[in-house]
Amino acid sequence: MLIPEPLQADFPWLSLSIFFPIVGALIVPFIPDKGEGKEVRWYALIIALITFLITVGAYFKGFDPSQEGLQLYEKVSWLPDLGLTWSVGADGLSMPLILLTSFITSLAVLAAWPVSYKPKLFFFLILAMDGGQIAVFAVQDMLLFFLAWELELFPVYLFLAIWGGKKRQYAATKFIIYTAGSSLFILLAGLAMGFFQGGGIPDFGYTHLAQQSFGKGFQLLCYSGLLIAFGVKLPIVPLHTWLPDAHGEATAPVHMLLAGILLKMGGYALLRFNAQLLPDAHAQFAPLLIVLGVVNIIYAALTSFAQRNLKRKIAYSSISHMGFVLIGIGSFSSLGTSGAMLQMVSHGLIGASLFFLVGATYDRTHTLQLDEMGGIGQNMRIMFALWTACAFASLALPGMSGFISELMVFVGFVTDEVYTLPFRIVVASLAAIGVILTPIYLLSMLREIFFGKENAKLISKAKLVDAEPREIYIIACLLVPIIGIGLYPKIMTDTYISSIDGLVRRDLLAVERIRSDQTTIISRPNLSIGTIEAPLLD
Amino acid sequence: MHSAADFAWLIPLLPLCGAVVIGLGLISFNDLFNRSRKPVAITLLTSVGASAFMSYAVLAEQLSGKPPVEHLFIWASAGSFELPMGYVIDPLAAVMLALVTTIAFLVMIYSHGYMAHDPGYVRFFTYLALFSSSMLGLIVSPNLLEIYVFWELVGMCSYLLVGFWYDRDGAAHAAQKAFIVNRVGDFGLLLGILGLFWATGSFDFHGIADGLSDSVSSGTVPIWAALTLCILVFMGPMAKSAQFPLHVWLPDAMEGPTPISALIHAATMVAAGVFLVARLDPLFSQFPFIGLLIAIVGTITCFLGASIALTQMDLKKGLAYSTVSQLGYMMLAMGCGAPVAGMFHLVTHACFKAMLFLGSGSVIHAMEEVVGHEPVLAQDMRLMGGLRKKMPITAITFFIGCIAISGIPPLAGFWSKDEILGQAFNSFPILWFIGFLTAGMTAFYMFRLYFLTFEGDFRGENKEMQLSLLALAGKEKDDEHEDHAIGKIHESAWPMTFPLAVLAIPSFLIGFIGVPWNSIFANLLDPREAIEAAEKFSWGEFLPLATASVAISSAGIFLAVLTYYLKRLDLGVSISKKYPKINSFLQNKWYLDDINEKIFVKGSRKLAREVLEVDAKVVDGVVNLTGLLTLGSGEGLKYFETGRAQFYALIVFGGVIALVALFGVVGA
Repeated sequence: MLIPEPLQADFPWLSLSIFFPIVGALIVPFIPDKGEGKEVRWYALIIALITFLITVGAYFKGFDPSQEGLQLYEKVSWLPDLGLTWSVGADGLSMPLILLTSFITSLAVLAAWPVSYKPKLFFFLILAMDGGQIAVFAVQDMLLFFLAWELELFPVYLFLAIWGGKKRQYAATKFIIYTAGSSLFILLAGLAMGFFQGGGIPDFGYTHLAQQSFGKGFQLLCYSGLLIAFGVKLPIVPLHTWLPDAHGEATAPVHMLLAGILLKMGGYALLRFNAQLLPDAHAQFAPLLIVLGVVNIIYAALTSFAQRNLKRKIAYSSISHMGFVLIGIGSFSSLGTSGAMLQMVSHGLIGASLFFLVGATYDRTHTLQLDEMGGIGQNMRIMFALWTACAFASLALPGMSGFISELMVFVGFVTDEVYTLPFRIVVASLAAIGVILTPIYLLSMLREIFFGKENAKLISKAKLVDAEPREIYIIACLLVPIIGIGLYPKIMTDTYISSIDGLVRRDLLAVERIRSDQTTIISRPNLSIGTIEAPLLD
Repeated sequence: MHSAADFAWLIPLLPLCGAVVIGLGLISFNDLFNRSRKPVAITLLTSVGASAFMSYAVLAEQLSGKPPVEHLFIWASAGSFELPMGYVIDPLAAVMLALVTTIAFLVMIYSHGYMAHDPGYVRFFTYLALFSSSMLGLIVSPNLLEIYVFWELVGMCSYLLVGFWYDRDGAAHAAQKAFIVNRVGDFGLLLGILGLFWATGSFDFHGIADGLSDSVSSGTVPIWAALTLCILVFMGPMAKSAQFPLHVWLPDAMEGPTPISALIHAATMVAAGVFLVARLDPLFSQFPFIGLLIAIVGTITCFLGASIALTQMDLKKGLAYSTVSQLGYMMLAMGCGAPVAGMFHLVTHACFKAMLFLGSGSVIHAMEEVVGHEPVLAQDMRLMGGLRKKMPITAITFFIGCIAISGIPPLAGFWSKDEILGQAFNSFPILWFIGFLTAGMTAFYMFRLYFLTFEGDFRGENKEMQLSLLALAGKEKDDEHEDHAIGKIHESAWPMTFPLAVLAIPSFLIGFIGVPWNSIFANLLDPREAIEAAEKFSWGEFLPLATASVAISSAGIFLAVLTYYLKRLDLGVSISKKYPKINSFLQNKWYLDDINEKIFVKGSRKLAREVLEVDAKVVDGVVNLTGLLTLGSGEGLKYFETGRAQFYALIVFGGVIALVALFGVVGA
């Protein structure tokens, strides 16, 4: 029943995909460039594409989706006395996100084509971030994870502080305070778990930690710390306020990275640490996750509806969609959890495409205020079509990936017998309100930007040219997997389903343990112990 | 040998392929594709035409008594959960396939004429093909979840098509309203599907029905839960088929081009709700309460639609409320446990209502020559009149449609409506009475439309009237189109009159497939019940009811003739003077739009603004406050924005490095 032994890699695919872009980034300063970024952007694109190909190679050559446990495993002793090792590997939880990272980063490089202010630094940071983020998903050691998690802060901070909008300092500072502050909890929890066995050399490897039998109180403590840390990243309401500010100031490629990859780190980490390493605490905390998920969906959808700033509107819509990830993780069903995983991939693609379109629109209108737009669909027809397609993807139209992931979460949650029926009814009904709210804010947004009479003031100021081939290409690259997954979701779910199955099985065991504890200790067998209580709903 | 049903998956796929190819072309080579109208129209007409051909082959097979065909594959799976998708061909699906492909094909021919001057011609055809494909997919869906998928897709197509003229504010609002009101229904449908899956472990129509009856009888699912689930599922059809109180989107959806009103908002998509209720008949028929509920909702809708249609001055809106009312009849039939009667009315109504809408399109097209493209003018009957002499084909077909919908034998509407009223008479006499009254109102308002539009003198050149209408709508005269305006009313070109003429045939004759003593239609859909009904049939029962409904329809027509043709009666003025409250109640559409606007639209906006306020002031405020307190209070935001934060982050990072180093030293 425990986690299977990791399978060694016969070729260091993952280390290569981490270090190749980082080394590539270090060479950036030596690329001959006239200072406008015309040469260095080609270089960055090639490096990013090769990285993408390496991860694709890793998937096809070294990864077997039917295996539950770790694969492509590499372990090199680094600081043996400290127990620090360089260990990377991938299972079903990491592989899709690794692919997503290298894919979105390549498109982000393409989206960064017009960057002409300090282009070398910009592309250096993008490439460095590429490696760093793959590392976040690939490393198999909690200390390494912490390092990768922290390393990724600095590029984002600089992106915001150097290339951001008017309030960039404020946004960048807020971002760093939130994430750096919260990641302290990762360090504390990691150290505590590493030293748990007491004496000897600590071991921070996930496989080692998963075999420990942590006490219940200890688990709860670590779990709550980690929940705060990852809740900031995901983000979970009320830890979310850094996100609209960060998004409000970022440029299009940075948006794509933030929405496409960074938010997924939170969801991934929740699955990896909270659900996998701390199953007993997860069994206690899961109802809270679900309630928070519902709050995310409704609260953020309403805020998004009231927002008049386009970027912030989409930012809040991201938060709303992440609510489904939380419900899925808390659902204790293989279907629901795999829906959460799919929602992460799907939102990575949809969020990136919407934010890219926001950037492309801003380049033309030079305003993000909805009141200052209107009727621009008449000059920008293709842009209008792309927007419409992506907005429909975001409001979970069937045939696109968002629908199937939300549906899996719904069905998984409703049919699983861990929760009481009233709790399930209330949560499903509230979450389904999101189904009404999402089109309200997305379609109003489309109406205010594109429909109606042309805004005379805007026309006189801005030159509204239609989408150029590069932009169409980027959106097309994102729409192909969105529609592909929507039409036949098994192409994505099959890559991770065995790992998710194993994870859910172990979590269900923990639920069983808690139930039997309750029966023996409290010895009230008549109590409806077939359920976990939902503390916040009482 | 393969049967045609084995290839039925091609029926939705062909239009889809056409739409995808042209759509991609529009995105990548916009100018080229926009210029090549003929090839595009021919490609898409061929694809829909081929679908129509196959649909008839499938229908012929089903008529010859072949068993239903079902093909499934596993679409998604996780754990023990498996979700099959595929298609099913049974008599119900075969009938709908033939109906939808025929009307879609005719509407496409019509659009070639109607949209000839529109720069969005190619886009319009692409949307039409996309819609046809989704609608056909909905029909062949073997389970609730697949229906939900296509249900949403037809909703999206409706959104795109209602908002087709996206430079009009009205269209933008109408499209959004249509989608969101439908999502309210889908909210219920989705929860219902989830709940039924929880209760029965199945998405399949029969699996659900059998599973739920088992669980209710064994007590695992309480009866109230089963009823709730049925009501939730019924919310979907309520929104899609414009049943009270979710009908508010349909009249607004008339902002779309008229061919769309004919295809989507009269003949096919709005009938999808009725179709779904027919599909779910094994489920709903277990619970008499649900039947009663459906019947009541249907009757209210039926009466409401007809009463509002009495006062409408906009030709298309009049027809739209008539559609609402007729959909109410279909739901009434479903509620009476007579899905065959409801489906029969769906088929006959699709033929004559599509024809009526296309006829109104022909009128509007002609009116635009005189009054310009402003819909407030081109669609208002106060500016029409006397068009029969100038557009004879349109007038004759419209007249046929009016007789058909009024229920005068032997035209189509008589047979189907009488079937429904007969069923209602046996099940719920009170509801029958309301439906019976509505039949009279139907005849009256339809002939009112006809007389105002086609008889009397032409009023279109009355400039004063034009200005006062514009003022009423709160719009200003658009100077750009002014000079365009002076033209002559003339009959539309053949692409528009041909579909009208074709549709006139079934409007006349299709009723004969459903005569109560030997119904081919009922034989196909439900042979057992058809035989029973034919045995039970007695002229003594049929004749009095039939005579009564013909009598009340004739009375309605007579009243309309007196008022609007002979002008002996001034019904409109005298009633509005005598009962001003009733008049304004009807003119304001029972105040439902206002209530909707006040409570839901304004309410949700206000709520959203308040949440945002909380987010900005409270949640974010706390964050900024703690930020200030911890990082040097009194120095102001400015100070903490520079330098400090990096320093803070560096401490964290440096701390880690230090720890690593420390352990390195200690370990060594």
